[in-house]
Amino acid sequence: MGEEDIQQITRRTTRSFSSSAATGNEAEKTKISESYAPNLKDLIFGGDHLSYDDLLSSFPTRGVQISQIVHLLGPLNAPMLPIFIYGGASTGKTSIILQIFRHLNRPFVYASYRTCYSPCLFFESILNQLLLYKKNAVNGYSSSKRCEKPSDFVNFLHESLLSVINDLKVNTRKLSSNKLAGQPNGSMVYLILDNLELVRDWDKSSTILPFMFNLYDILKMPEVGLIYISNTSPDTYYSNVGYVEPIPVYFPEYTEEDLRQIFLRNQANQKLYSSFLDVVLKPFCRVTRRVDDLSTTFSSLFRKYCEPLNDLEHVPNEEMKRRLFSHFQPHIALSLNEIFEVHSWPLLEVESNKEKKRKSSIRSSEYFAELDFHMSTSAKYLLISAFLASRNPATLDASLFDSTVGSDSYKRKRKASVKSMEQKEAAEQELLVKGPGTFPLERLLAIFQCISSVAEGPLDEEYDNDVLRFESGDSGFMSDVLMQLSSLCNANFIIKGGSCPLEGSTRYRSTITEDMALKVARSLKFPLPNYLYRR
Amino acid sequence: MGFQSQVEKAKNLLRTRLCNPNFIIKPLSDSPDSNYCKLKFTISSSITEACNNSILLVGPRGSGKIAVLELALNDLLQEYPDTISLIRLNGLLHSDENCAFKEIAKQLCLEHHLLFSKMGKQRLLYSLLDAMNTVTSQAVVIGVSCRLDVDQLLEKRIRSRFSHRKLLFLPPSKEDVQRLLEHVFSLPTDSSFPHDYAAQFNGKLQNLLADDRFKEIISSYLDLNSTINHLVRFLFIVVSLWESKSGFLSLENFKSALSSIQRQPKQECIKDCSILELYILVCMKRLEVKEQNSYNFNSVMKEYRSVHDSFQTSDYYAWDVCLRSFERLIQRELICFTDNRAHGQSVEFRPVKLLVSYVELQGGLKSYRSCPIILQKLMDH
Repeated sequence: MGEEDIQQITRRTTRSFSSSAATGNEAEKTKISESYAPNLKDLIFGGDHLSYDDLLSSFPTRGVQISQIVHLLGPLNAPMLPIFIYGGASTGKTSIILQIFRHLNRPFVYASYRTCYSPCLFFESILNQLLLYKKNAVNGYSSSKRCEKPSDFVNFLHESLLSVINDLKVNTRKLSSNKLAGQPNGSMVYLILDNLELVRDWDKSSTILPFMFNLYDILKMPEVGLIYISNTSPDTYYSNVGYVEPIPVYFPEYTEEDLRQIFLRNQANQKLYSSFLDVVLKPFCRVTRRVDDLSTTFSSLFRKYCEPLNDLEHVPNEEMKRRLFSHFQPHIALSLNEIFEVHSWPLLEVESNKEKKRKSSIRSSEYFAELDFHMSTSAKYLLISAFLASRNPATLDASLFDSTVGSDSYKRKRKASVKSMEQKEAAEQELLVKGPGTFPLERLLAIFQCISSVAEGPLDEEYDNDVLRFESGDSGFMSDVLMQLSSLCNANFIIKGGSCPLEGSTRYRSTITEDMALKVARSLKFPLPNYLYRR
Repeated sequence: MGFQSQVEKAKNLLRTRLCNPNFIIKPLSDSPDSNYCKLKFTISSSITEACNNSILLVGPRGSGKIAVLELALNDLLQEYPDTISLIRLNGLLHSDENCAFKEIAKQLCLEHHLLFSKMGKQRLLYSLLDAMNTVTSQAVVIGVSCRLDVDQLLEKRIRSRFSHRKLLFLPPSKEDVQRLLEHVFSLPTDSSFPHDYAAQFNGKLQNLLADDRFKEIISSYLDLNSTINHLVRFLFIVVSLWESKSGFLSLENFKSALSSIQRQPKQECIKDCSILELYILVCMKRLEVKEQNSYNFNSVMKEYRSVHDSFQTSDYYAWDVCLRSFERLIQRELICFTDNRAHGQSVEFRPVKLLVSYVELQGGLKSYRSCPIILQKLMDH
């Protein structure tokens, strides 16, 4: 079956693949496929058996939800109505449902709408799992069945579910009780559909979301159980087409006591960590109660907390706790404001240098702020040009950038009268609300040429390559700039705004803040404040 | 049989009954003027008299239209085994006409009686209804829809060929509901079930059904949504909450099922928020009260800063942190952007608005554990 499907789907192959396919790789491929024969055990979670008590202890704060779900799923082979599990992000929905199925050892099929981001992918993923089909080199990593329409999906799904359920029934009848260990329990199949909220964005006019909700009624098979998991509550899924809402199961966010229990698990020194949590949990919970945010912050903070201790096994007494707290306290406020920052690993070594810098010059920290990623010089110039184009009105370009006009004209200081202060405030307010302006491509390139020609003067040895590029003639220069522009667009430093109403050409908008533009300009030694329009 | 296993058997039986739409619809289809009888009569008369017919089944979602249809068709297939062939089309699956034609060809046998669910394209309908008039074979077209005005949606030429037979599926009356509850929950007293336990269970059930508090719970549930499927969903939760330790259904099961179904999702969402997120919500409410027509994250930050300056709150966080919390609120759907993405602005400049009412926000703050008093004060003025 696999080969026919490969021929039906025209795939582009590289020359090496199609030439090597004919030669001796066949033996290898058959070896790979023979070593693993798919069977019904693929449909269960597998691994060691998990008792109900172990399940409850691995999720100490979710006892109510776990018992709710287990009761709704019911005993072996009991039919069920679809259930809808919802709750905020990182509240344990997916992991709990999978561990429940590990405990129950019942066969299930799991698909997430995040990885299966189109109906076709979703249908094929479910069918592949039910048909016990693995994508590998032999079948060219294609799916078992090509399925794009919901009607085909329902037919295939019906067939494959019937065959799996049949196999499961035969299995339980054939095997005696002592051989049943490791085999799936029962003859019901459960479909777990995760990240349902993403389906709403697929195609606003399509019927795919009501189709997903109606799946139970369309299939009409009591041996199938349906479980939906979503980040948002059922009332955010309204639609014109009718369906009966599935049974809701709510996962609330963790409370502070819950978080304490969660973080104390698997800690070597419970008393020490508990005293750490006494200090840290309350202030951080005011910002966020999500486990993923807090766990990354707490792991680095705990290391800092334990710095004065020589022996990490030590149980701290009251005096010790006070000492640790006084050492640790200044870091709390700092860390609160960095709670959502993601540190990339190579920077952790740089961090220790940054720490020393920070400690010595906290007051004048703005002057040491540097760009912490690399950009080529022309990209930096382009970025500054984009910022200026968004910030300054187009009518000012001539006076700012024309080299024939004297550069002191805009430096004339105006008297700060009350009216002008009010105007300045109003202008700032407008800037905050309206946001950066749009500009066409030609204006950006014009400013870029002006700026880079101005800066050509005091270039060092380092910039020799760029100088050569600038002087090499128009064609090389322009293509480089357009490539830089598209990379900046991909990095979201410049975004495509609306199109010009008259011409229909695209306009761009710069998204960087003034601080960042100043940082970039400083790294180029470019006098950006001279060019900024201040009303 | 031990007591526990009797209870388990009873629970399984009830679950199976609740998941079986044919079982549920039976007591409501017994009376001679029920939709089931009318439907069966219409189809069987068109079979025996060899004439064409078309019927519409309309009613709110979950009122049992497909269940009644299936029941009628099952009976008819038994009465006239070789003379009926069925074709089912579903508007959700076969919304594309080519798809629908392919499906018909697939399901077609000799003579065709056609079945539609949720009206599809008009061209298909028209050709089918037209074919019924001209071709010698007999067809019955049955349409099912949850829209009560579905015949207004049909084109004029189709409506003219339609015989205007409409069966309305109304919500069940109080007596119907009572009959349904007895039908679902009464354990059989025949030999398939241990007699003593079943008798005891049925006795307790009758007491429960007569209890006023029980009637209140059922009627308050039906006030929200009175269709059969919704009631079945409620009863399923009741059975799942029935602990094996107590041998019989109790009023408590019904009460807890009611509270687990009647939720206030926005209030729950507000309780899930962190304190910083509450600050952002309250600042947005203040901006809306000041009648700023459109405001964005930067305006909210300005308000946040002014609140901090005037009240010296302890919760003043950096811009990045507030932006992240703001994005979290968008994910939770407590606030949303009011523009469409056509103009491509970054997050801090896009206009936003609240998706919760002030009353809900006030209620959420009141029931929030350890809510800062300053927030409640800010809500008032």
